[in-house]
Amino acid sequence: MNDGDESDLTVEEQDDRAADVSAGGNKSSERLARATVLLRQHTDIGWKAIEDNVIARALTLYRPSAPVRGHHEYGDFFLAADLLVAQLRSVIDAVPSAAARDITCVTDAQDHLESVTIQLIAAYGASLLEVANRIHAVAVRELRQLLGTLAPTAGQVHTHVHFGDVSDDPSVVN
Amino acid sequence: MLARQAALGDKTAFSQLVSRHGAALYRYVSRLLHDTHDAQDCVQEVMLSAWRNIASFRGSSSVRTWLLVMGRHEAQKIARQRQPHFPQSGSRPAIDFDDVVADMRNRHSGPEGDTLEAELLAALDASLSLLPERQRSVWVLREIEHLSYTEIATVVGTTPTAVRGLLQRARTAIATSMEEWR
Repeated sequence: MNDGDESDLTVEEQDDRAADVSAGGNKSSERLARATVLLRQHTDIGWKAIEDNVIARALTLYRPSAPVRGHHEYGDFFLAADLLVAQLRSVIDAVPSAAARDITCVTDAQDHLESVTIQLIAAYGASLLEVANRIHAVAVRELRQLLGTLAPTAGQVHTHVHFGDVSDDPSVVN
Repeated sequence: MLARQAALGDKTAFSQLVSRHGAALYRYVSRLLHDTHDAQDCVQEVMLSAWRNIASFRGSSSVRTWLLVMGRHEAQKIARQRQPHFPQSGSRPAIDFDDVVADMRNRHSGPEGDTLEAELLAALDASLSLLPERQRSVWVLREIEHLSYTEIATVVGTTPTAVRGLLQRARTAIATSMEEWR
């Protein structure tokens, strides 16, 4: 970029430059520029004092979990939705070329599982329909294992494929 | 990327997000609240909320912008609790101009040298405290955090065009205030 050419600058950069020019380089504007740089580089003591505590408190936060009704040979039981989601996430993440982005459950007034929505991240180049089919199969199998006869059957679980993101980062998608 | 991992329950990723953006969030809300304990409470509350809700973060804005939006809302909530007549976002804060200018001069009366930078910072903070909240927000988010007009508009809840006007007025007002500092 040419130093004097404004055509490549964003509106913000053009305004920043205009403000610098209009300040004119007198003593007062130099002080303001210096103070601005100082504030930019400054890390408040107040933040340093609480940083570790902020992280610790957030990570120990209790997140209430809705119940999901299951059924086994001794009768009905309840499973925490967080646990169901975590179990689904672990089996989905084991599927090659896919990772769970977000999993949400909807239950009815009697806590029966009505629907599960699974948002996926797929590896770049993967066949997305094949990935969706594999995820559908493992999700149905896991729900059956977790909820017994109250789990939705394969025919009741409908798959809608929506491409929300693509990543080539191996740390995100195995 | 870290937000995705944190949304998947990765606590290390969330810790990194807090460390990466916490200082900027604190810097911003402490310029809105003028009180160390209130600023600390505000950041704590925002980070708790972020961890609770990060799975619903859709990525339509950056994580930093998302945190700053929550920070501004929380700061306004705290300010209203502390001061029932907290001024609306567009109006001037209830701070006496003469007091602030006197404070700026007093801060300069110390010995020269290593305290000069601290005094400059204090003078800038005093100048910022004279601005209406939206001008102060826009100035800090542009000059200190280098957000684009669109990002600032998201944080402040206005349009990029309005941000441009607010920034221009803020720059003029701060330049005038800083001239008082001799």
